Amino acid sequence: MLTLGEYLRLYFIIEAQYIKARMQYRADFMISSIGMFFSSLATLGIFWVLFNSIPSLAGWSFIEMVFIYAFYMIAISPMQILFDHIWQIRFEVQQGTFLKYYFRPLNMMFYYMSEMFDIKGLTQLAAGIILLIYASVQLGIHWSPIRIGLLLITLFGAALVLISITVTAGCAAFWITNAYPVLGLAWKLREFAPYPMSIYDGAFRFAFTYILPIGFIAYYPAQVFLRPEQISPLVYLSPFVGVALFLLTYWVWTKGVNSYSGTGS
Amino acid sequence: MAGLVYRTGFIFTILGNMVYIVVSYFLWRSIYQNLTTIHGLTFNDTFIYVALGSAIFILLKTYADWGIGYEIREGMIAVYLTKPVDYEFYSLFSSLGGMLTNLAAISFPTIVLLIMVFRVSFSIGPGLFLFPFSLLIAFLISFFFDYMIGIMAFYTESIWGLSITKEIIISVLSGVLIPLQYYPLAIQKILFVLPFQAIYYSPLMMITRPNQGWETLLSMLFVQLLWAVILFTLSRVLYHQAVKVLRISGG
Amino acid sequence: MGYAYGSRPDTLGITRSEIRPMSIIHIQDLSKHFKVLNRRQGLSGSLRDLFSGDYRLVKAVDGISYDIEPGEMVGYIGPNGAGKSTTIKMMTGILKPTSGTILVNGQPPYANRIHQARIMGVVFGQRTQLWWDLPVIESFKILKDIYKVDQKTFNEHMQLFNDLVGLQALYSQQVRTLSLGQRMLCDISASFLHNPRVVFLDEPTIGLDVSVKAKIRSVIQELNRTRNTTILLTTHDLGDVEALCQRIIILDRGRVLYDGGIKKVNALFGAYRILKVQIDNYSPTVQISLREKLAQRFGPGTNITVAESEESWTDVTIDQARTPLSDILSLVMSSFSVSDVRIVEISMETVVRKIYDGALL
Repeated sequence: MLTLGEYLRLYFIIEAQYIKARMQYRADFMISSIGMFFSSLATLGIFWVLFNSIPSLAGWSFIEMVFIYAFYMIAISPMQILFDHIWQIRFEVQQGTFLKYYFRPLNMMFYYMSEMFDIKGLTQLAAGIILLIYASVQLGIHWSPIRIGLLLITLFGAALVLISITVTAGCAAFWITNAYPVLGLAWKLREFAPYPMSIYDGAFRFAFTYILPIGFIAYYPAQVFLRPEQISPLVYLSPFVGVALFLLTYWVWTKGVNSYSGTGS
Repeated sequence: MAGLVYRTGFIFTILGNMVYIVVSYFLWRSIYQNLTTIHGLTFNDTFIYVALGSAIFILLKTYADWGIGYEIREGMIAVYLTKPVDYEFYSLFSSLGGMLTNLAAISFPTIVLLIMVFRVSFSIGPGLFLFPFSLLIAFLISFFFDYMIGIMAFYTESIWGLSITKEIIISVLSGVLIPLQYYPLAIQKILFVLPFQAIYYSPLMMITRPNQGWETLLSMLFVQLLWAVILFTLSRVLYHQAVKVLRISGG
Repeated sequence: MGYAYGSRPDTLGITRSEIRPMSIIHIQDLSKHFKVLNRRQGLSGSLRDLFSGDYRLVKAVDGISYDIEPGEMVGYIGPNGAGKSTTIKMMTGILKPTSGTILVNGQPPYANRIHQARIMGVVFGQRTQLWWDLPVIESFKILKDIYKVDQKTFNEHMQLFNDLVGLQALYSQQVRTLSLGQRMLCDISASFLHNPRVVFLDEPTIGLDVSVKAKIRSVIQELNRTRNTTILLTTHDLGDVEALCQRIIILDRGRVLYDGGIKKVNALFGAYRILKVQIDNYSPTVQISLREKLAQRFGPGTNITVAESEESWTDVTIDQARTPLSDILSLVMSSFSVSDVRIVEISMETVVRKIYDGALL
């Protein structure tokens, strides 16, 4: 059994090698990074167009939307960097190459994660950070050490929420033959994460808060910084939502991995 | 390449579309809270526009860029080039087949949802008659774009980056996500000169405002046709160029 | 009077059939059954599938028993669908048995996957377990860390691999640039790096040409000899089995068909060949005529069978120990107009079928 420290060390070793190898594909890296950069900002561009015509959206000004969106960009980066290959899991499962994860004395999710480190996701992360700083300055948000700590915790929880939703969707590959649309649905849902929850009525607000909690990817955590006086204390629980969801995802993963037996007999 | 995602998986595509429509409903309802019209469009207009935009977006997804990318990588493209049938037309008809299959499966639930659940009101007018032609030409334009991206991937070996860039450019500049009337005037002028509005804005406006008068509608159609011809020519040039390179390098 | 070791329970209530040193793999009455959905057609069918209870039971493994001792090199053969992969997956802890006992190195594999993985090595013929984009040496270094191999052992093994397969020359090459043969040699070496007690080799020579096959076989043999590692070799290539294994276990439809020395099987089937002939103007009467001629010339009890195979080809299966190939060939060619001839080894399925039909009894 490896200790947590040993796992971390192993992770760094593997990823260092992986990044070195990927950097050789220069053209692909450049184009993909640029593509990622623009794709992150496209939705923001649409919001900008929208706010040319209306003063506020469900009580939120444009600059506040930028803040939420920046938070969103940072929160989705870990998913992009660590699990971008979840889109290919159905091929590995169908072709039987997924079996290799069983044969090493490693936790399978760790081994699976170690196979990917998407460098272009760092572009998205950087863009998000810059945007967040810009929006904070415009909004006059004061960043005390406590607030920064709170920011990191809420980002951590938010990242876990997205990772959980997406990886669970990816696990459908263990049971369904054409599982791609499940991931597609998860992807579509996450695109709605920066929209204010206040636009929804009861039933859907409930759904997006408690059933498919995309509200916790950006909107609810961002409230901690944008409208701290107006929110209910429950919002401070958002990091725990992430942790709880991830545990659930891990459970689904384990079930999937145990039920899979590869191809052939 | 079948556009239809088969069987159990297909449900999720339709579900995704429905979620988008629902979210759009809430979003635009919130935007139109105290207003009757924005830029001359009512809530009903905009909602139809955005909802059908999403349905058409799925319909016009041709995957021709990925198909070519895949076949180039696997070296299969050399096989197609030696056949008498022109590769571009082969690819076009495959995609068209997929689109037609999707047409019934995607657009039908969307229209039902719009009419029965959201109670939108569709206007009747000559635009409705011209809409299918408009959609077909839009499909062609979209196909030619995808096709050219696929050929460019041949040179750069990076299909993802190019594909995503294309998709973003089209999403933002074509008016599929938000009617072009919302864009600042100066930008609008530029956008109307570009081919992207011919893919989504034109057909969507035909169905949202079918009463614009034959002259307006036909001129929109004409512009679409023009772009289709231009892009077709461009795609042929690129195709022949690529074939030349392929023949020289041995495939 | 004390009791002899029979099947009498001792004071702890445990039955011992005999006292034996602990075998590295112990399998007793092992079964694995799968519930397979009877799939329905169409979209509505798929929806109903999600909720249906309409299963059929597939007995992939149906009551097998054997013990494998440390250091043995065992050939594990059988037709597709026989249950070989299923058994291996149970040995490596991927699948949970439906019933029966399975112990690897004294432990049940399923509950201890990570722990067991430390003492096992696995090589799957067509899919590498090395890191695709990385230089070969980096894969080995990572494995060193994963398996906690100490530096001294690591150096010894890398030296051994270099002596056997010239690994050093490949150190800086990325795994994806290697030829199939080179990759296989790397995979096999890597599977021995951490001094496993048992190594599972699945189709190690598939798709490779004769000289590379020979090289791989000698490497496997050497590693088995120097390390005394138990090796379970799954293969469709009888040449592998002949070259490497003293003992073979033949599996068919989830049951052990044969478990014993290779000499016996080899003596019976080693000499079998299939003579494939393409006869001009072939028709069913030609086949009947050929059979008659062969029976006439060589007598009835010679184990010659005639069958039509692919389009316009006829297969004549012969036992060279009884009738020389050349005699048969000259008979066929003098009696018919033959346009093409091929000679191939007897297939695994035919061997199994013959054993099933009682050839070894």
